[in-house]
Amino acid sequence: MRPFSHANAQTVHEASVQLSSGNAKAIAGGTDLLGTLKDNLLPIYPDKVVNLKAIKNLDYVKQEQSLLRIGSLTKLSAISEHPVIKEKYSALSQAAGSVATPHIRNMATIGGNLAQLPRCWYFRKADNRFNCIRKGGEECFAILGDNRYHSIFGGSRCADTPCMSQCPAGTNIPAYLEEIRKDNWDKAAEIFLSAHPFPMITGRVCAHFCQSACNRHQTDEGVLTGGVERALGDYILENSDKFYKKPTKETNKSVAVVGSGPAGLTAAYFLRRAGNKVTVYERMDCAGGMLRYAIPAYRLPKDIVEKIISILENMGIEFVLGHDFANGITPEKLEKEYDGVCYATGAWKRPIVGISGEELTVFGLDFLVEVRKWMDGKVGEEVLVVGGGNVAMDVAVTAKRLGARKVTLACVEPRERMPASSEEIARAEAEGIVIMPSWGPSKVIENNGVLNGMELKRCVSVVGDDGTFNPQYDENEQLVVSAQNILLAIGQRVDLSFLGDKYHLQLNERGLIDVDADSQRTSRPGVFAAGDATTGPATVVSAVSNGKKAADGLCLHLGISTQQDNPGGCASVTVDANGITCTTSLKLRELDINKRTLETEDSQTPGVQEAEKEAKRCLNCGCYAVSPSDIAPALIALNAQIVTHERTINAEDFFNAGVMTSTTLGFDEIITEIIIPALPDGAKSVFKKMALRKSIDFPIINFAIVTGSEPRISLGAVAPHPLRAMEAEQVLRGKTLDEKLAGQVGEAAVRDATPFESTKYKVQILKTLIKRALLELA
Amino acid sequence: MYTQESTRAAARGLIDAIPDVVEEFRCPICKKASASYDSLRRHYDECHQEDIPPMMVALTLNGRHTELLVPQHWSLQRALQFKLGLTGAKHMCDKGVCGSCTVIIDGSPALSCTTLVVECHGKDILTVEGIAADATWKPLVDAYCRWDAMQCGYCTPGFLVTAKALLDRNPNPTIEECNEALAGNICICGTYPRHATAIVEAALKIAEDSQAKGGAA
Ligand SMILES: Cc1cc2nc3c(=O)[nH]c(=O)nc-3n(C[C@H](O)[C@H](O)[C@H](O)COP(=O)(O)OP(=O)(O)OC[C@H]3O[C@@H](n4cnc5c(N)ncnc54)[C@H](O)[C@@H]3O)c2cc1C
Ligand code: SF4
Ligand code: SF4
Ligand code: FES
Ligand code: FES
Repeated sequence: MRPFSHANAQTVHEASVQLSSGNAKAIAGGTDLLGTLKDNLLPIYPDKVVNLKAIKNLDYVKQEQSLLRIGSLTKLSAISEHPVIKEKYSALSQAAGSVATPHIRNMATIGGNLAQLPRCWYFRKADNRFNCIRKGGEECFAILGDNRYHSIFGGSRCADTPCMSQCPAGTNIPAYLEEIRKDNWDKAAEIFLSAHPFPMITGRVCAHFCQSACNRHQTDEGVLTGGVERALGDYILENSDKFYKKPTKETNKSVAVVGSGPAGLTAAYFLRRAGNKVTVYERMDCAGGMLRYAIPAYRLPKDIVEKIISILENMGIEFVLGHDFANGITPEKLEKEYDGVCYATGAWKRPIVGISGEELTVFGLDFLVEVRKWMDGKVGEEVLVVGGGNVAMDVAVTAKRLGARKVTLACVEPRERMPASSEEIARAEAEGIVIMPSWGPSKVIENNGVLNGMELKRCVSVVGDDGTFNPQYDENEQLVVSAQNILLAIGQRVDLSFLGDKYHLQLNERGLIDVDADSQRTSRPGVFAAGDATTGPATVVSAVSNGKKAADGLCLHLGISTQQDNPGGCASVTVDANGITCTTSLKLRELDINKRTLETEDSQTPGVQEAEKEAKRCLNCGCYAVSPSDIAPALIALNAQIVTHERTINAEDFFNAGVMTSTTLGFDEIITEIIIPALPDGAKSVFKKMALRKSIDFPIINFAIVTGSEPRISLGAVAPHPLRAMEAEQVLRGKTLDEKLAGQVGEAAVRDATPFESTKYKVQILKTLIKRALLELA
Repeated sequence: MYTQESTRAAARGLIDAIPDVVEEFRCPICKKASASYDSLRRHYDECHQEDIPPMMVALTLNGRHTELLVPQHWSLQRALQFKLGLTGAKHMCDKGVCGSCTVIIDGSPALSCTTLVVECHGKDILTVEGIAADATWKPLVDAYCRWDAMQCGYCTPGFLVTAKALLDRNPNPTIEECNEALAGNICICGTYPRHATAIVEAALKIAEDSQAKGGAA
């Protein structure tokens, strides 16, 4: 143990004051606490230990009227041997007598027993060498490891799983995967759409940060969340009438969204969903922005974008196309005519690199927009693409598929820092595109205005000390790449010239619209902005994410409540015990390299069964630890109340806490007393425990039952927190106990169990022990 | 050669060597000597504000009053071994699992590895040395030897202390009661079946002895 200071509290008040100042822990018997200190398990090692044992008058068992009162400092040995408890509350005396060893029962208090930490041995690994979820890490080792001492009724969700925390749109990935496992696609769709309206798009084009973060990479292959998302997206698209409905109530507020890329469409969707009248203004002839014009059809078929636009139109969103602010509808006018405006005009402008001959090169984005112009071999034999992002990959692959014989791609970043997603880099390389990382443009080689190639120079570093983009070159290392066409796919700029000189909107130092990060609010009241116009060239999903934020921000501004509930919220989580044993992930079916074209999609959406199988591989990252207390189920069955110096809590609610804590106790809250009502006339109680050894070991299963007119059954160490087996109680209520009924109660108690493969035996034993316990009481 | 007599004398010697009072108040950090505990605390206030000063603990150990100056986070087991030279309460699992460190605190068997020594202030503590030094318990030691209730012997002090506490409470235990009382002591050598037999036999002998004594008186 590392040093701490020790203080004896004389009163409960004094103890709570000591605990509230700084980082202190209470000690009662110390049998749990000292172990956690020796193994250094607590996230923060306490600097002070406050001894409760010096508090007078908390060590008692007394009967008052019909209530049994037990002081929180009463030793477990005293409880197990107390004649009144033995006779009238046998479940409690049996539970206390089953704890640990006689030595520990002589030391351990009932209060400390209730507040003890779980005994998952990954969690208990000394010195925190495994940072499991409960310790603030990301992985639960029990899910695929030894889970004998763990829940067979699901786990508890941690705040954010790695996949969720990596999704810019905050999609509740494990929750929708869980619904897909249950073949409940409609519910999965509802969960998805509450965060993000277009899984059919991101399922195809997203870099799938969720997928790279997935915990399963640590054991075998990550869950192909992108593939499942795509299947869900296509399901939603096929059943669009069901999912994209007109709002049930109109707010009579009107909003204008300028720009119809992913940010604009997302903002429009959520604004309309909340009941507003929405008009989208778009400069181009078709809606969809980058989705329509930049992302090639082999990744995102145009008919999907068109279908989405028509779905949004059916929701009542109006699209004004070919709008370029020259037709009299000025920003001032929009602001006046609408209750709110959201700018999502993207980043489309060509940057100036400043190399000689630059005017002979083509801007990558223009190339993609006008791809038809380049058909019939016009792209040339040899093409050089400059840039390392996803746009550059699209440009390179498109050039190749247009017929270029040799496509070379040069970018200033070293390979491991290329901004393009690994999927897109792989796609480009598969088609024979030569990637040259760490090379920057030096000058265009020309002959009388005819482009012959480019001189590249070695790039030695990309970002400066201050973290900004500031490439440095070794001018002595050069190389010439011959090309008939050079496509510059770098640094699309934001062009806000359409706002005019008089309309003042605050921009930031990068020339982007300055917004508040939480609400996407701009410097002008009622004016919001989202997407690349606020971030610079980013990703579809980040545009979706801040498009939603802008919609929420605007609704808040208009005083409209948005749907804030989080379907799929925070309940206990389950895995598919069989499915998680599958170690290989889903692979998308793809066209052979030589069959790929510009128009047909390279890969296919997984089928329903494939998606369900992949969803079953999700570990549903949560903690499967249980409260190891043997006293807990007894108190819940006996309908006890736990009194602290601040409140009285039903035993049933006491343990119903989140994953990082085991109880609902505040850090300076002290249990003072346990109150147990008299059992109804004729009722009896019993506690059972199964452990590896009769003495010392923690429960693998424990439960307590109270019979009589209001039967109560509580399952202890088999669930994330001790459960009431309500259905089983219902089966038992009002009936005469016989062997058949006892068996039925056991069956009902385990009906909701979702054990791992290796803990199925626990279900069987639990069922049988419940039956036996009941027959003992009959 | 060790005999019971020599061992008893050695235990007595260890107990007699336990200091009554603390005589040296030396700062564990800078080794500066202070005249009293109060002046050591003042020294901490002046020179080591960031550090946690040791505490004074007074207790009765194997029948003798003793005082000790100990770090606040020390376990009783550690204090017995490193401050008082009593190695009978064994350092084993150090987590409350095995019972090798068992001592009797105010009459009940408890684990000295999982007890903070500062919380023993004013308590009455008996260790295996106290049992070894007391001829009353010779029959228990004899029975353990006769039944060979040990192999490597590391766990044996813990068992013996637990057995003594049982006999204090229940001078005539059954085999089941013995096993139940010893349920918190682990023996990796697997000597379990012998203990209850030894204890039951010892109980009979102790009863005989005390009757004989009573008869003589
Ligand atoms: C080897 C071993 C085996 C065990 N086997 C079992 C078993 O089979 N079944 C079982 O149920 N338990 C078992 N335990 C756990 C043991 O029962 C508990 O550790 C014990 O009951 C805790 O009581 P304590 O007074 O020693 O708590 P402490 O260790 O003093 O405290 C435990 C926690 O509770 C807090 N706390 C203590 N008292 C209060 C209070 N009044 N108000 C608020 N917070 C408080 C402390 O701050 C601490 O965080 C075992 C422990 C060990 C070491
Ligand atoms: S069950 Fe909980 S405590 Fe155990 S390894 Fe998993 S996250 Fe950690
Ligand atoms: S296993 Fe499931 S919940 Fe865990 S990170 Fe992967 S997808 Fe997310
Ligand atoms: S060392 Fe104390 S119980 Fe094992
Ligand atoms: S005799 Fe060796 S551990 Fe018990």
